[in-house]
Amino acid sequence: MDYTRQEMMAIATGREIKDGEMAIFGVGLSMLAGYFAKRNHAPNIRDLTEGGVYGAFPVGGLPWGIECNRISSNAVSFTNAIDALGFLVASGRCDVGIIGAAQVDKYGNVNTTGLWADPANSRYLPPKVRLNGSGGANEIACGCKRFIIMATHEKRRFVEKVDYISSPGYLTGGNARDRYNFPGGGPSVIITSLGILRPDPVTREFILTEYFPFSSVEEIKENTGWNLKVSPEVRVTAEPTPEELENLRAVDVTGALRKKS
Amino acid sequence: MPNKLISMQEAVAKYTWDGMMYAHGAALPVGSDSIAFGREMVRQGRKNLHVISNCCTQQLNLLCAAGAVDKIEIGFSGLEVYGFANGLRRAVENGKTILEDYSNLTLPLRLLAGGMNWPFCPTISSYGSDQQWRSAFHPDEYPATSKIPEITDPFTGRTCGALSPLKPDVAVIHVTMADIHGNAIMLGTEWSRYELSRAAKKVVLQADLIVDTACMRQFPNLVRIPGIVVDAVVYWPMGVWPQCSTGLYDSDEEHMFYMNKMLKTEEGYEEYKRIYVDGYNTIEEYLELIGEEKIAKLKNTTTAHLMDPYRKWIKSDEEIEELMEGR
Repeated sequence: MDYTRQEMMAIATGREIKDGEMAIFGVGLSMLAGYFAKRNHAPNIRDLTEGGVYGAFPVGGLPWGIECNRISSNAVSFTNAIDALGFLVASGRCDVGIIGAAQVDKYGNVNTTGLWADPANSRYLPPKVRLNGSGGANEIACGCKRFIIMATHEKRRFVEKVDYISSPGYLTGGNARDRYNFPGGGPSVIITSLGILRPDPVTREFILTEYFPFSSVEEIKENTGWNLKVSPEVRVTAEPTPEELENLRAVDVTGALRKKS
Repeated sequence: MPNKLISMQEAVAKYTWDGMMYAHGAALPVGSDSIAFGREMVRQGRKNLHVISNCCTQQLNLLCAAGAVDKIEIGFSGLEVYGFANGLRRAVENGKTILEDYSNLTLPLRLLAGGMNWPFCPTISSYGSDQQWRSAFHPDEYPATSKIPEITDPFTGRTCGALSPLKPDVAVIHVTMADIHGNAIMLGTEWSRYELSRAAKKVVLQADLIVDTACMRQFPNLVRIPGIVVDAVVYWPMGVWPQCSTGLYDSDEEHMFYMNKMLKTEEGYEEYKRIYVDGYNTIEEYLELIGEEKIAKLKNTTTAHLMDPYRKWIKSDEEIEELMEGR
C-alpha cells in the first residue's frame, strides 16, 4: 500500500483518540491527526484548539495557524486563551492533547524552547538556537488527563536529557510528577516517525512497544539517543487501512503529509 | 464620550516612547494584530522596548529585526506553519534581546492579575518545568525563585506557582471595528486581548473599520472592549497585513514567507524597511504598496459572512476624514 511515514504517524496518533473525548490539537501535524480521528472513528469528540475556536472543521487545506481563516470559517464559538487553555485544559477537564517536540527524553519531557551550547550550565545564557517556546503545550502537559507526543525519530531529538523542559513529562521518572500536583496524568505515548513508545507503569521510562511496517527494532534503537528498552511484546503496527487513508487525505487536502521524507 | 480618533503618526508619537513597556494585542501568531502600528514605531525609531507579547506575530518579528527590543516576556515566539520568526530569533540568539518564557495561558493570567490589581495569580502550569526553574531575567538563579516562586495553597496545604501581575504602559490592540469612542468588536478569537485591554495603563485601538455607535448598541454583548478603557482609536484598513483579519481578509501567504525571509539578515531587514516600512506616508500609499489586485484576492475570504450583520454601519473614508477634522 502506498502511504508516507508522516501519514502512518498521523494515523497512529489518531487511533489513540476515542470517540466522545474532549481533545485539544495544536497546529500542523497534530491538527491533521486530530481531525482525521474525528472523521474516521470519533465523530463525537469534543475538539478544540488553544485558539479558542470551537466546533470548526478546516477548509482549503492545513490551517496556517489555529486562529487563521481556514479554521475560522465555520466555527460555532470564538472565545479566548484563558477559556481554551485555562477553563478547559489547565483545569484538568480535557481528556487528551497532542503536542510536538523538538527534543524528547526517556521520561517524556518535551523541549520546544531552544538549544543551548552548554545546557548543563546553571547560568542562563542566550540559546544557540531559539525555538518557539511552549505556547499552550505546557498547559496540555500539566492539565490534560493524558497527552500524546509526536516527534520525528532522530538521535538528535530523542535525547538522554532535554536542554530545557518546556512541557513536563514524568520529570525524573517514577512518581516525580506527584510533587507538583498537576491535574493531568502525563504523557501516555510517544508516536514517532518510526514506531510507538509507551511508559513503563512504575519507572515511567518510555519503552518501544511497536514499530511501523517500514521500520524495525534495530532502526529505532539506532535512532534513539538513550539506551532504549524494548518491550517483550513488541509488535508491528497495523498498516493504515484504505478507509483510514481516505479519511486522512480528506483532511489533508493540500497533501502536507504526502511529501516523501 | 469624546471622539478618540487619532492619526497613526500622532498615536505613535503620543503613546510610545523609548524604554517603555509595550504590549501588542493579537489573536495568536498569524492572525489579527496591530502590525501597521509596529511599522510606524519602526519608522519613528523607537528603541529599548520591553515587549509583552503572548504570541509574537510579524510585528514583534519586525521590531526585533529593527533592534528596537531589549526585553520580551512571551508565551510563544514563532509564526506557526510559517516557521520560526527569523528577526526575533536573530535578536535572541545574538543576545541583543533577552527573552523570558511563559506559556500561552500564564502570560494572559499575568495580565488578568494586572487588570484585577491582584498581588499575584496562582498557577499549576509554567510550574514544575524549566519555565519555572530557568529565568533569562535572573540568569544566576538556578533553580530560579524570583520568576514563578512556589507558594502553598492556604486551604489545602498543596504547593503551586505564583505569577507576577503585568501592567504594560500601553497596549495597542487590533480590532475589526471600533466607533470613534473606542467601543470595539473583534471577529474571530479575541485570545488574550480582553484581559490585555484591562491590564494596560493606556489602550490604543487599531481598527480595520470605523462604524457608527448604533452598531455597538445593536450588539452590546459583542463589545468586549468598551470605550471606557480606551484612550485612542487609529483607523488603518488592511492593518494586519500580511496576516489575516477574520471576516475581512486572508493571510498574504507569499508576503508572510517573504517578510520572514528578509528579516533573517540585517541586509534583508534594511531592504524590507526601505520598501515596506518607509515606503509610504498615507493610508492610500500603504494600500498601493500592497496592490489593488492582491487586496481583492485577500478580501475574497471564506470568513466574509461574519461581517454580514455589521455592513450597514461602516463609515466611508470620506466620513472618517470628516470625523478626524471635527475632533
